[in-house]
Amino acid sequence: MKVTIKNWHAIAYWRWDTGKEDEEDGEEGDVCGICRVAFEACCPACKVPGDDCPLIYGECTHVFHMHCLLKWIGTAASNSQCPMDRRTWGKLSPRAAASYGYCQSLTCL
Amino acid sequence: MATSALRTQVSVKYAESLEKLLAADKEKRLNPGLLNYSQALTLASEYLRPYDIKDRAAMMRPRTAFNINDVRTAFAMVHFSHQLPALTEIFLEDMRKSFHLIEYEINAYMTRYEINGCRRLRETKNLELFRMLVSRLHDWFKAWHPPTECASPDSPSQTHTDVIPPSLSSFFSGTYTLSFQTRLFAALPPSFARGFKALASWCLAPEDYPPMVSASGAPIKIDAVWTEFEKLGLIERYESVISSVAYEHIERRIEETCPNNWAVPMLPEIREWMTQKVVPWMLKIFTHGVTSRHDTQSLLTGIGARFDFHVNKVLCDLRIKEIFNIIVDYPDSLGALQDLKETLQRVDQRGDLVKFLRKENNKRLLHPGADTQTILQQYVSTIKCLRIVDPPGVLLYKVANPIRQYLRERPDTIRCIVGSLVGDDESGDSLVDDDEPIQPLQQPESEDYGDLEWNPEPIDAGPEFKTNKPSDVISTLVSIYDSKDLFVKELQVLLAQRLLAIDDNDTARVDKERRNIEILKIRFGDAALQVCAVMLKDMTDSKRTDDHIQGQTPSVVHPTVISHHFWPTLDQSDIVMPGQFQQMQEDYAKQFSVFKPDKKLKWLPHLGTVHLELELQDRTLDVDVPPLEAAFIELFSQKDTWSLEELIKAVGNVDRSAAVKALSTWTNMGVIKEQNENTFVLLEQAEDGAEMREMAPIQAAPSLPPVQTVQQQEAEQMRVHWKFIEGMLTNLGSLSLDRIQTMLRFSPNYDKTAEQLGYFLEAARREGLLVVQNGMWRLNK
Ligand SMILES: [Zn+2]
Ligand SMILES: [Zn+2]
Ligand SMILES: [Zn+2]
Repeated sequence: MKVTIKNWHAIAYWRWDTGKEDEEDGEEGDVCGICRVAFEACCPACKVPGDDCPLIYGECTHVFHMHCLLKWIGTAASNSQCPMDRRTWGKLSPRAAASYGYCQSLTCL
Repeated sequence: MATSALRTQVSVKYAESLEKLLAADKEKRLNPGLLNYSQALTLASEYLRPYDIKDRAAMMRPRTAFNINDVRTAFAMVHFSHQLPALTEIFLEDMRKSFHLIEYEINAYMTRYEINGCRRLRETKNLELFRMLVSRLHDWFKAWHPPTECASPDSPSQTHTDVIPPSLSSFFSGTYTLSFQTRLFAALPPSFARGFKALASWCLAPEDYPPMVSASGAPIKIDAVWTEFEKLGLIERYESVISSVAYEHIERRIEETCPNNWAVPMLPEIREWMTQKVVPWMLKIFTHGVTSRHDTQSLLTGIGARFDFHVNKVLCDLRIKEIFNIIVDYPDSLGALQDLKETLQRVDQRGDLVKFLRKENNKRLLHPGADTQTILQQYVSTIKCLRIVDPPGVLLYKVANPIRQYLRERPDTIRCIVGSLVGDDESGDSLVDDDEPIQPLQQPESEDYGDLEWNPEPIDAGPEFKTNKPSDVISTLVSIYDSKDLFVKELQVLLAQRLLAIDDNDTARVDKERRNIEILKIRFGDAALQVCAVMLKDMTDSKRTDDHIQGQTPSVVHPTVISHHFWPTLDQSDIVMPGQFQQMQEDYAKQFSVFKPDKKLKWLPHLGTVHLELELQDRTLDVDVPPLEAAFIELFSQKDTWSLEELIKAVGNVDRSAAVKALSTWTNMGVIKEQNENTFVLLEQAEDGAEMREMAPIQAAPSLPPVQTVQQQEAEQMRVHWKFIEGMLTNLGSLSLDRIQTMLRFSPNYDKTAEQLGYFLEAARREGLLVVQNGMWRLNK
């Protein structure tokens, strides 16, 4: 018997590629350290997830919703530090910088 | 003791009166002095004495035989000598003695009447008999009547009429009439009322009886009989009988014309019939003896109002009895609703309507045999109907409450409502009229339908009733629940199922769902449906991504890529697609990450549909199957014989029942067969008898995507609280939902609504853990 797939309507979901391997990347995924909402959901300011509400990667390896971090950095209390470890918020990792294209806006901070 | 002065005065007065009398009769050669008082009294009483009108001899000796001058003098003397009471007494006593004559005749007539009985053929004969009796009674009455000042037609003699002075005449007449009527009433047997009623009834509807003719064959003029009745005081005495005749005719008329006749209002027609038929009859009966036009008017207004009230009452009772079916028939029953509205304004039957409709609803609607869609449909119609009958909504408030409570306890109510919101084809009739304007939900805080302590008041709207603005049907349905969140969740589940079932490239269906959601946004608000908007966006994005990837590396895989946080929980599965499927998944995922470098694709391999072509030795099959079926058949392309356990293992892990079901898809198609128990073998060549449905696309019944329903999701969360509920019911026996909810609030981390608890209890009931009776839950032991 020969089985030929003519058409396959499959269902999948997307995850952010945070560089972690599938095994260490829990099924439920991580949450943003600022808003405590899953990365794949959107930040409290947004309504649509995905490209409209992307992630931002810090030098310190912490990841946040970009909008959450920008809002945090915008406050005086932040001292331009990562809210998780209080290290100065470093420039984006090359990988993320390559992926996004808003390094400019961030380094201006 | 009379003083001499008084005696003198009396004799002076008497002398004066006598003088006058003598003067008046001077020319008539009267000799008053010839009579003494006792002779006068005797003569006067002789003159008045009732006689037997059957007796020819007595007839020969009518009052005209008396010397009129003697009689006149006698009356004057009786009067002036204060002997009037004595004369009256003698007269009444004479009447008493003679009344047996009348009783005899009554008995003679009524005996014949009763012998004839109610036989139809004799009916007109009986009516005639009865009429004759009345006529005869009237003759007696006239014959015994003391002469009046008015000339009676049969004794035109001028001298006769003024035998008794006018004042005396009316005195006698009044006393006589009263006494005669009293004796007459006492003498009439009960069957007389029957006869009276039959006559009144005949008069109202002669067409119901054979034509009444006299012996000579000429039609009988019956109208005179009412004058006779009136003279005898019988109209007043039998007024209730007359009314009952009218009532019965009204009831019959309504019974004949109104039941199940709901399209147009019947009240105007019945009123027209009243005007044509009953009013003239009333006039005939009641206006005899009433002299002034004003009296007639007020009499008729009074009686007419009573009859009209009866019309309203009877029609109202009928419509109340029919109300359930009237609601079922809406909008073809608008006429009946109009009747109900109008009659309810006249008669106070609103309480009856509420009571009856609630009873009917309990009996015919709110039971396990009725499906939720039917209940919702009837509820919606009830809303519309009662709003017509009672625009302020008091009736609706009272009738709706039990329906709403019942619906709330049904697990699939929300699904049904949501189904009709999005035009779910399966749910049959839409609850929403197409012409009903789409408007935002109204959820006034005053709407307190949720209060289970609410009790119906015997009188109308209790203090807790607040005039709620009539809201649209959808708002009313949604307000069955405390919040609209449940609807939104259910909507998401439904949308998810429908979207996942949409094959790639079918943008028209996605657009249709999008339009649905746009409409629902108007009702539920943008924010509530944001999640749905993301789901729809996922559909469009998937299509765009797929178009791009196909442009780079063509593939037969066309995935729908979802943002899983925005979709309802999907059933989890660990299946691993074997062989070429796995390769295709990997290739596609790679291409996806090239196009979207920051994202990776995770498959939900058990969802979706696969279109396959199977080339076997003697046949080729073209089929659409779920992924698990596809996975199994792929395995059979590698090896002919598989045991069930091997198959399950080969796809990672899958539910045994799911595996059996998937295999049966292929055995049904004759592609494989179960050789030994749980061992399956590929049939490269079709077995004898197995039909070869070559190239006919075969569709394995695609089950709806296994999206967990809202209830399932909630039941899952509720399991934590089961121990608490179980303990509660063990200790307390049976409890209402409300009570359980109240007690659970004391349990840590409990944040569920009563509805959510309801779903859970319902689920527990289906599992046989609980039983419910009359809203009381207890453990199933
Ligand atoms: Zn965030
Ligand atoms: Zn955002
Ligand atoms: Zn950090």
